[in-house]
Amino acid sequence: MNGLTKMTKVEIVVAGRDAPPVRELITAAGATGYTSVSGVSGIGHDGQHSGALLFNEYDTLTMVITVLPPEKASALIESVRVLLDGRSGVMFVADTFVSRPDYFG
Amino acid sequence: MTHTLPSAPLVRARVARAADVVVPQWPLESFIAINPLAAAEAGRFEDAARSAPGVALTRAVGDYVDDFRAQRISDASLRSALLERVPELRAIASQALGSSGISALDVIVAELTRLPAAPDARRDGSPAQSRLDEVMAHWLAAYLDPEPLWPMPGHRLGFFGAWRLMVRHDSRLPRWARRALARIPETPDGALAESLENLAIDDDQIEGALRAELAHLPGWVGHVKWRADHVGDIDLTSYLAVRLATRVALGPTEQSPDELHATVPRDDPFERAAALVKSLELEADPNSVARVLMLHPTDQHAFTWQRAAELEYSRGLIARLGRDDVDESQRPISQVVLCIDPRSEGLRRQLERSPGIDTFGFAGFFAVPMRYTTADGRGSVDSLPALLSPRHAVTEVSVDARDGELRASRLRLRDAVAGGIHRGEAVSAAGFALAETSGWFMGLASLARTFAPSATARLARSVGRVPEAPAVLTVDRAFSLEERTLIAEAAVRMMGMTRFASLVVFGGHASSTTNNLFQSALDCGACGGNPGSPNARAAASIFNDSAVRLGLAAHGIEIPADTWFVAAEHNTVTDRLAVLDQHLVPGSHRDALADFELRSAAASDRLVRERASALPGATARTRLSRVRERADDWAEVYPEWGLAGNAAMIIGPRTLTQGLDLGRRVFLHSYEAACDPDSDGLETILTAPLVVAQWINHQYYFSALNPDTLGAGTKTLHNAIGGIGVLQGQSGDLMRGLPWQSVGLGTALVHEPLRLSVIVEAPRDRIAAIVSRNQVLRSLFENDWISLTARDDRAGEWHRYGHYGWIEIALSEIRTPETTMTTTGERS
Repeated sequence: MNGLTKMTKVEIVVAGRDAPPVRELITAAGATGYTSVSGVSGIGHDGQHSGALLFNEYDTLTMVITVLPPEKASALIESVRVLLDGRSGVMFVADTFVSRPDYFG
Repeated sequence: MTHTLPSAPLVRARVARAADVVVPQWPLESFIAINPLAAAEAGRFEDAARSAPGVALTRAVGDYVDDFRAQRISDASLRSALLERVPELRAIASQALGSSGISALDVIVAELTRLPAAPDARRDGSPAQSRLDEVMAHWLAAYLDPEPLWPMPGHRLGFFGAWRLMVRHDSRLPRWARRALARIPETPDGALAESLENLAIDDDQIEGALRAELAHLPGWVGHVKWRADHVGDIDLTSYLAVRLATRVALGPTEQSPDELHATVPRDDPFERAAALVKSLELEADPNSVARVLMLHPTDQHAFTWQRAAELEYSRGLIARLGRDDVDESQRPISQVVLCIDPRSEGLRRQLERSPGIDTFGFAGFFAVPMRYTTADGRGSVDSLPALLSPRHAVTEVSVDARDGELRASRLRLRDAVAGGIHRGEAVSAAGFALAETSGWFMGLASLARTFAPSATARLARSVGRVPEAPAVLTVDRAFSLEERTLIAEAAVRMMGMTRFASLVVFGGHASSTTNNLFQSALDCGACGGNPGSPNARAAASIFNDSAVRLGLAAHGIEIPADTWFVAAEHNTVTDRLAVLDQHLVPGSHRDALADFELRSAAASDRLVRERASALPGATARTRLSRVRERADDWAEVYPEWGLAGNAAMIIGPRTLTQGLDLGRRVFLHSYEAACDPDSDGLETILTAPLVVAQWINHQYYFSALNPDTLGAGTKTLHNAIGGIGVLQGQSGDLMRGLPWQSVGLGTALVHEPLRLSVIVEAPRDRIAAIVSRNQVLRSLFENDWISLTARDDRAGEWHRYGHYGWIEIALSEIRTPETTMTTTGERS
């Protein structure tokens, strides 16, 4: 597709206090980076979640987004599935395309 | 068939799940009070012991019964607690049993108060330390000690790498174990995966097995979790990789210590009923009595008593709260904004005895979250709540560069001399020479510090005096104008400030003590366990900024042109309020400031006199200078009581509490709902200052109930590991929580363990909406970790937030309280 390279995008939404282990898994899976957005709001399985709080990043939801080659993604997906089993948090996985694949390992 | 080890991410996912129960432990140098059972907050308070075996969640039942007999817990509070905790009782509470006329509620009250208390189901002691624990504690101390006599070789490789490099030389391990450890994989993930396989732990058992390992050395494990997030040179995967590899290498003889088994008392309602009928000589069918008693099993008795003790306090407090409107007829002469810390309550009360002084309570970081670096070049601190990450670096800069350089160089020289002596004492070869050359002087100095601490401190200050260099903070570089305006607006709206005096004082707080490893526990919790004065200075700078004032005016907040903001520091040992940055005060405000300083000095004297009666070794008649001398006394283990006694948080206007002596037990956050129509201010207060207050409250609560496991034991046995923490003795686990000297005296508790009663004056529908959209608040209020009481406005009635919504508190429930700090029970 227009010379783009296929990658896997993994988005994980967890409580802010649970974000460090998620970032650790992403690093351990060999991803070269991630984007973290704190203070995301919404309604889900555990009810309503407030958005950004002025003085508390710890108790809001954080979305962590990473893009990595499909062959590295499966280990990350499996580990995040284990991490989130039976607790609040969601993971979205999608194919995506990037123009500079060397940026993503 | 070949078997592959789990991938690195999968190993780390298992570790992360197992580490759910681990609460991070901040280093001692920036002590953050935290609920040691925070990992259990998603569940009910009374179920917390499931994830923390051996922990006492309440006092012993007999202690409460003693309080009941001494009328420290009333019959009314006990009945209210029962009706709240056992909803089924409400329908049958007044129903008579048999011909005796005794009601169902009376039966349960009688069992609680008139029969001997059932034995507690608490587990005693903590797991015995195994050889593996001893080995791990040594390696952790060697790696993490920031001031080691001999730095650990290979430190740059991280904990796992350094350990792998050195473990072959560990003489505590047998030779065959060392040989086995030399062959383990090079990465912690690989080593941990291999150990799990060697131990033949099935996939579905891994999480439990890792959790069991993490339950040992909980102090060190908590600190490793903190360090993984804040420093990054060690994490729990590395720790577990080392631990399990060593366990495998030591072989099957190295067993896990036996689980502690609780002695669960027998709970037969028919036996209980028979005993009650016989004891009270009731003319009632024992079976009917038993059916009532079934509603309140014996394992619930302590929790009911605990709730009764809390209701006793909170009902009394609520009964005293005012209903007056704010008097805005006269402009105040000065306004003082102090931290919500309960110690500020005393100072606010004493300051307000001077006509024309208004006071406010606000989070002690004054809405300025920053990483702060002093002009002295002595490093930086994160001066902000632990709920935030530092994003703004503020530096102190000397107004005159030459003065600043001179001061910094003198301070460096002083630090170098002190550091040299310290190292000389510790190095075995130099110790004798140091003693020969300077021992006579040190001996005399020690005698002087012991018998004349105040005079010695004055002398030391004058000899080593380094002239102050006037300085300013680089606030306008660290925060954009938009951010500074937002900070100022948020502060004004959260506090409900609608008018401004010509002099407004922001008072941060700090504790000045000597030879006290736990000093940062006495500093400002909202500033990350640091002194609050830098934040007060930054806030004053923001509010004096004309561009910020223009921005505020555009948002409807007019600060008069003649209003000047100054920063001050409240020393909680001496209770002096020292005005800072005097060089910034314009001539037009010098007289007003001098007048304020006179009045604040008088207020501080009154407060020291008030506090003295509660301090060990002092009375209300002790000379003020003697009480203040505690700040300089290196042998004083009770410099102040800190936040001992904290029991409630009140969010509302000062008219609620004005003129009341709350005994320095209450966090006070100013708030005026009319100034916060969209509830953003209230949501910020409930999700930040309230959470910090709850952490502090639970730290004191559990340190008081579990002084040797969730508290730090006694100060007299402490052995410091750099600025990380303390051990009891030479080695072992890092102690958690507060020392006994923060919560008790002798064998008696001074801090009465009460979960925080949060009292709010704001529309209840707004409060409920905020609770509903914030998981942290839902967990805390709905799982009974803390309680919430509110009224809509001055004319409204008080309602308690419960599992079924708001319930109005009957006037008959409210009675006159006891608010003074008292000894509450024996240490168990």
